[in-house]
Amino acid sequence: MNSKHTIPPYERSGFRWAQPYLYLLPVLVGVVVVTGGAIVASFLLGFTDWDLVRPPVWVGAANFQAMFRSEQFYQVLGNTFYFVAITAPLMVVCSLGLALLVNQKLRGATFFRTIYFFPVVTSMIAVAVVWGWLYNPEFGLINYLLREWFGVEGPGWLLSTSWALPAIAVMTVWKGVGYNMLIFLAGLQSIPEHLHESALIDGAGAARRLFSITLPMLSPTTFFVVVITLIGSFQLFEQTYTLTQGGPANSTLTLSYHIYQNAFQYFRMGYATAMAYVLFVVTLCVTVFQFRMQRRWVQYG
Amino acid sequence: MTNRIVSPLLYLLLLGIGVVMIGPFLWMVVTSLSSPADLYHYPPQLPGAWHPENYSEVFSRFPFGTFTFNSVKIAVLASLGTVVSASLAGYAFARMEFRGKNVLYWVILATMMVPFQVTMIPVFFVIKTLGLIDTHAALILPAWFGFGMGAFGVFLLRQFFATIPKELEEAAVIDGAGRFRIYWQVMLPLARPALATLAVLAFMANWNDLLGPVIYLSSTEKMTLTVGLAALQGGELTARIDLVMAGAVVSIIPILLLFVAAQKFFVKGIGAGGVKG
Repeated sequence: MNSKHTIPPYERSGFRWAQPYLYLLPVLVGVVVVTGGAIVASFLLGFTDWDLVRPPVWVGAANFQAMFRSEQFYQVLGNTFYFVAITAPLMVVCSLGLALLVNQKLRGATFFRTIYFFPVVTSMIAVAVVWGWLYNPEFGLINYLLREWFGVEGPGWLLSTSWALPAIAVMTVWKGVGYNMLIFLAGLQSIPEHLHESALIDGAGAARRLFSITLPMLSPTTFFVVVITLIGSFQLFEQTYTLTQGGPANSTLTLSYHIYQNAFQYFRMGYATAMAYVLFVVTLCVTVFQFRMQRRWVQYG
Repeated sequence: MTNRIVSPLLYLLLLGIGVVMIGPFLWMVVTSLSSPADLYHYPPQLPGAWHPENYSEVFSRFPFGTFTFNSVKIAVLASLGTVVSASLAGYAFARMEFRGKNVLYWVILATMMVPFQVTMIPVFFVIKTLGLIDTHAALILPAWFGFGMGAFGVFLLRQFFATIPKELEEAAVIDGAGRFRIYWQVMLPLARPALATLAVLAFMANWNDLLGPVIYLSSTEKMTLTVGLAALQGGELTARIDLVMAGAVVSIIPILLLFVAAQKFFVKGIGAGGVKG
């Protein structure tokens, strides 16, 4: 490859250095130039007043001041963190549990793995349509089963200010659990078999093997799942767009949806980009914090 | 001994979770075949008579055929764009030496960490300036420049190209093949499993995308299944939950067929992201 006589003649010409960049050109334009440019532009637009029609007007820190003085913003921020706080732990625990379950040497485990993955491939809107109906307080299956099986009167779910966000969180976990299960499964299958075998010989029980071998060996995978689940949860949009539009009484209004509203319904592009940057910074801080903490619990073999 | 007790319990657990995961889809199908009178009824029930005509009603009252066509068109052309742009870049990163290689590679990967909302408005402005609002190009063109799944694709394909033995290329070079012919005739055919993985994941992401079509498409005849379904659900069909469900079933069938046919590629793609990431 590198020896001179194998290089085709045109590659010896003066423009040879440019060749790799030609292969990279589309991705460089889109990902580096436009995305990179957009990240900078967004930052600057956050200091302007802009309705997309007239040119942006520089307003200094007015958008940020308005945001940090607005009560609604704190409600939105609170809702976002509340949603993340329910979704992320539930997602990690459930997907790890499922992965451990389908990793058992049982006939048909692959079949169940496929079934659990089904919701992942379907669109959020299709999922939201059916869950919205399941959550219907009067005619929905969920409240019916709660009453029949447990004698519990179910809440109004999506119509209740206290239950709408948890209801969306449960639906989100249901939809995404199969994805993270597969990531955990790949991690589980990369744990060397001999570790379990020697532990068995030493007489370690199932619980002991789980906590002393499986979970520590799996911790890099767990770390990855925690990071992507947190990032994903902060960006909750489609669920609220299709089910509640932020209601009832703004109880499901989260950052991402509020950014969309400001940008494409009220055409307050400056304010929306300022808020998008807040989302960015929050996500970044949480991610950086994760990487800082990983030394404490993640073991790289 | 323990297995005799534990196995049935595990199966029961697997089955119970299976019902929870698949149940909503079955209920979706049942609801789509009910009449409104069956639905607004307590307790929830199976319909007295099945109403398959709900499906023809959805297609006749709303351009669901057009929605389906639009979704297929956008998902196919956009995922093709992702595969082409990511494989070119992935090849360069795997096999070429050039200035700024590592920096560029990490910059591309780092863009995966930036929330979509941050770039959404400037990118919208670019699309608007190009005059592409309310066109399918607004959703297809960006994929040809590595938007969406592009960064992940570059990562996935670079990893895969790096595993292909260099001897295979050297043989082609001796035969006088240039770089592009090596990429096209040697590397791409060898990378078929990785390309299929990326194509399948990109197709799924585009097929299910809602925010993109919501932002860029406004005329009904341009809409995709996702945004069309959202419009039905929030619009005049709010009370005809049976028809909305029929629409939802129609929107799910193609992606489920793809999943069943190409399951191993879904599994591979997600495993690759998880273990290496």
